[in-house]
Formats: sequence, C-alpha cells, structure tokens
Amino acid sequence: MFWKLFSTDVKMLFRNKQSLFWAFMFPVLFTFIFGFFFGKNTSVGTIALVNNSDTQIAQNLDKVVSDSTLFKVNKNIAENDIKNEIKKSKVSAGIIIPENFGALDPASPKQIKIIYDPGNAQANSVISGFVRTYLTQVDFQVQGAKQIFTVDEEKTSDKALNYFDFVLAGILGLSLMNSSIIGIAVGMSKYREDKILKRITTTPLPSWIFIVSEITSRLIINLLQIGITLSIGYFIFDAHIYGNIFIILAVAMVGAVLFQLIGFVIASLSKTTDAAQGMATAVTIPMMFLAGVFFPIDTLPKWLYSAVQYLPLAPLLRIIRNVALEAGSPFDNPINAAIVGGWIAVSLIFSIFMFRLSDE
Amino acid sequence: MAKVIEVKNLIKKYGKLSAVNDISFSVERGEVFGLLGENGAGKTTTLEIIEGLRKPTAGNIKVLGHDIKEGISSIKQKIGVQLQSSAYYSFLTLNEILNLFCSFYPKHLKAKDLLEMVDLTDKANAYVGNLSGGQRQRFSIVASLVNDPEIVFLDEPTTGLDPVARRNLWNIIQKIKAQGKTIILTTHYMEEAEALCDHVAIMDKGKILAIDETHKLVESAENPYVIKFIAKNISKEIFKKISSLGDMANLFGKKNQFELRLKKQGDVNRALELVQKLNPEKITVGNATLEDVFIELTGRTILED
Repeated sequence: MFWKLFSTDVKMLFRNKQSLFWAFMFPVLFTFIFGFFFGKNTSVGTIALVNNSDTQIAQNLDKVVSDSTLFKVNKNIAENDIKNEIKKSKVSAGIIIPENFGALDPASPKQIKIIYDPGNAQANSVISGFVRTYLTQVDFQVQGAKQIFTVDEEKTSDKALNYFDFVLAGILGLSLMNSSIIGIAVGMSKYREDKILKRITTTPLPSWIFIVSEITSRLIINLLQIGITLSIGYFIFDAHIYGNIFIILAVAMVGAVLFQLIGFVIASLSKTTDAAQGMATAVTIPMMFLAGVFFPIDTLPKWLYSAVQYLPLAPLLRIIRNVALEAGSPFDNPINAAIVGGWIAVSLIFSIFMFRLSDE
Repeated sequence: MAKVIEVKNLIKKYGKLSAVNDISFSVERGEVFGLLGENGAGKTTTLEIIEGLRKPTAGNIKVLGHDIKEGISSIKQKIGVQLQSSAYYSFLTLNEILNLFCSFYPKHLKAKDLLEMVDLTDKANAYVGNLSGGQRQRFSIVASLVNDPEIVFLDEPTTGLDPVARRNLWNIIQKIKAQGKTIILTTHYMEEAEALCDHVAIMDKGKILAIDETHKLVESAENPYVIKFIAKNISKEIFKKISSLGDMANLFGKKNQFELRLKKQGDVNRALELVQKLNPEKITVGNATLEDVFIELTGRTILED
C-alpha cells in the first residue's frame, strides 16, 4: 500500500514539470548569481589604477595592487574618466598615484588619491585599508622605524573559507525551506479544495501512510535539489565543502522534514489554496532575510537577533554550516540541534492534532 | 430481503443549524435507494455520515451489520463512494488512478475491466483533465467500484450533465445494480429517481417528508390525474366549472397554459369535455409524477443551481 502510493507520489512530482522546474531553478539561480559574484576568488570588484609616478615606492605599490587577488585592476582608464566609470558601475573605485609620488624630496606629493562610491562601502574599506597598510609600511621603512603594536590574527576555522561558501550553505537551507513549506502547504490545500483528501478518506488507507508517503516522496526532490546546488557550487565555483557529504545530506533531510511539517501546519490553518500560498510566503520571506541565509545575523539589532536566532531556519543553517564548512558534527552545538528538534516536535504535534484529510 | 443500511434517529447539527433532523430509514440489499431533495435538504450530509466522513450528533447507523462508530474501517473495505464534485490527481492517467485506488484494498478488481465497464478503455492513458463532463462522471463512478463493493454511494452522479450523458450514466447505474450491488444515491432530478430508484426518501430541511417504494409514492399523490392544456379563448364561466373539479394553475406563469390536477379518475372525462369547449390548441392527459408528489409535500419545485 505504502510503496504504491510512494511511487505514485514520486511519479506525480516529476510529471508536474513547471513545479519541478522552479524547485530546481530557484537554488540553481541563486547559486549561479552568488557564484559569479563571490565564487572562485574574493575580488571586491575592479579598480582603475592610474600611476603617474616612476619612483620605486610608486612602482612597488603599482605591483602589489596589480598582483592582489582582492580586486581586478584596469590601467586603461584616464584619470578624468574614473568618476564616470564608477557611476556606470564599470569599476568599483580608482587609485591615482600622482606624478613624483614616492620621491623623498619635501616638495614631492605625499598623498595618493582614492576615488570611490560611498554606496559601495565594502569595496571602499578593502581598497582604502589595502593602500593605507602599504603606505604605513613604507612610512616605517623610510623613517627607519619599527612597528611596535601589531595584531595577532586567529581564525575561528583553519579552513580556507569565503563568503560564497557561507552563502552556498544558506542557499541549501533556503531552497529546502521554500520547496518544502510552499510545496506541502499549497499542495495539501489544493488537494483539500479539490476534495482529493476527502476521496482518500473514503478508502481504508490510513491517514498516516498518506502523510508519510507525501513527505518521503518530496524528500527525493529535496535530495536532488541539494545535490545539484552543491555540485554547481563545488565544481563550477570552487566552493569549499569539508564535511562528509552523507552527513550534510542527512542534516538537509532533517531540515526538509521540519519544513514539510510546517507546511502541514499551514495547510491545517488555511481554508483555501490562496490563503495557504499567502501564509507560506509570509512565513518564508522573513526567514529568508532574518535567519542568516545571505549575511550573518549578528549585525541585527540585539532585540531582533535574540528573536530571529530561534526561527527554524537559523539553527538549521548553523548546523549545515558547521557540518559542511567545518566538518563538524550536527551535535557540536546541542542548542542548535535542540531548537531544530523542538520545532519538529511542535510542528508534528500540531499537524497530528490539526491536519485532517476529512472535513471533520 | 436483508437490510444493509439501518439509520435510526440520525441528527446532525452545526452549531444551532440542524442539517439532519432525526431521520430513520433502512436500505435493503440489492436495491437502489434514492435520497431526493433540494440543495441543502441534508442528502449529502446524511450520505457522508453513513460513509463515515462526518460524525453524527446523535443516532445509530449500521452498515452491513457494523456500527459506524466502531467498525468504520471494516465498512470502508466493503463500500464504494463517489463524492459530489470530487477531482482526481491531475498528473495521473485513468489507469494509474484506478491502480492506485486498487492498492488501498486487499481485494480489488482490475483497472482494465473497470474502464471497459464504463466504455473508457480508449482513455486509459488520458488524464482526467482531458475528459468530457460525462466521461469524468463515468470515471468517477467506476473509481468507486475498484474494491468490488457491496454498497455503492453515488452523490448526485448526473448533476450538470447533458441529457445524453445522463442517460448513459443511468445505464451504468442499472448495470451496477444488475451485479447485485446495493446503490444509495442522492439526486434532485425527479425523473432520475423515478427511473432508477426502488425506494425513495424525500428530504426537506433535514427531515424525511415521505419514504416508500417509488411507484407507491407516485400513486400516493393527492391528485394523481393531470390534464395540461393550452387555451387562448378563455371563458370565465367554463374556467369556473373546470376549477371546481380540481386544482387549476397556470403553468410556469404562462397565461394561456394550464394544468388541472384531479383526485378522481371519474372527473377526468368531465374535465376533458369542459376543456374541449375552450377550443384548446393542445391537451395532454397523464398521471402525477414524483415531481408532483414533491411539490405537494414541500410546496415548492426543485430549482437547479
């Protein structure tokens, strides 16, 4: 009974081409977009470099800027065109080394000009910091001084990770959330509206078999989503995945079950398919931005951070990142596992008591 | 004959509204039993309580000897249900849907035979969305037969169909009956109930107003003889005489079309003589129908949605 229903459910999911297309297209699109921006290297953009000086110091700066992987360099832009090029978003900033910069006579210019878009704070801080660091070192050398105060840097991870790795894990959670919550909430509401659920209850099929079959069949789609997203990230954009792939998939499946149960909760509460669609969107959109898919949530105001860290997606993403990027265990931080477990328990209990195949 | 359904003092309330108000009836094995009434009369609610889809507020129901409160899972093995306006999976073919439903039962028929029964063999690999209204209803009925049920519930199986498709479904229902199955159907088509049902219960506002063998119900009409005529020359004197013989009314508000209902057969000839004096364009003489009985009982005709 179960296997026939399961195989039929899988068949139906794969025949619904439009729904299937978007289930895969959504994470693929996000992975490509973020991959093109942040994958492979950590470049913050292209900078225009105009070097009017032939001193050693200026030539050295020219070389370190050109060799840096932090940005791409374009030396073919005239000094007067830099602002326009920035406005056209063709370059992120400009560095102008004035004539005779680096000569040690008092009359020679002592300042390098950086032109930037104040709206591009990330590029500005990286370029400005890079040039300032270089100039500080030159200052020490010229003055024959030694640096007294330095920084001892310690990474939380010994792994080579970048922003794309962070976002890729977020995209995994996001795609699971969207396809599971919306898929179940809208799918079950449509079944109810079309009286398919009612028709099922006229048969001896136990409700739990119907529900388990719905969940497990959708896990196949989720597995493919995760597989495709990880493959694109890893093979095309050189994402760093250090964790065991089977543990990553297992955690993802737990997340998928959690979100499917939330989908059942929404289907229980909504009376129509339109209402289910609206409620599902209202649940997923805030989580997409507040649970740490695209950026760390510790930049949020404290009161908001305190609340959103308990949203279902937030602890799941922390677990996925720990497993995928740090090769850790899902239980390294038991609080994250407990929050996910708590959400599963609450959604399951609610679904058991509230989700009905029949009208009564 | 053995009773396969026994309903005693069934009540169903939604808040203060009584959808079903203390009704009792029984259905015998092998018969077609009709629940007849307007939309909102309580037919579907009654049917769905018997099918185990809704819980009764009060009353006792036995289906095939099982109390529905305790033995619903056993009952579901032996009944077939066609719901009013139920859809089927969009991405499965007819063959696949039947095979899926077959898998829910330990004992079931073959999809191929079922499709053959309703002349849908050539549509075996089609989706439900590609069927005509009549084909969809035929499929809906045959999907209720996958487990070779002892009792088949059909909820307004012909609503919304054209006359030809409706007649086709009547044939199918008669075929099902010929297999010895018990059928309980709801309808608001009087001629359908008359053509198909052995017993009919007329429901109105949650109550059963009358229940009997179909032909006996028709015979029980207060005015079993009906003369319909079209007269353009209206003589008040003659009309007064005709009206004194029975109930006279305009037909559907048309000024020159009349209907005379008579209690006694003996009055029919006298009434015809009087009508002839009006030089009528057309006269028909007939017996009362189930519709006439329904109008007498409820004071209304059934209007379709």
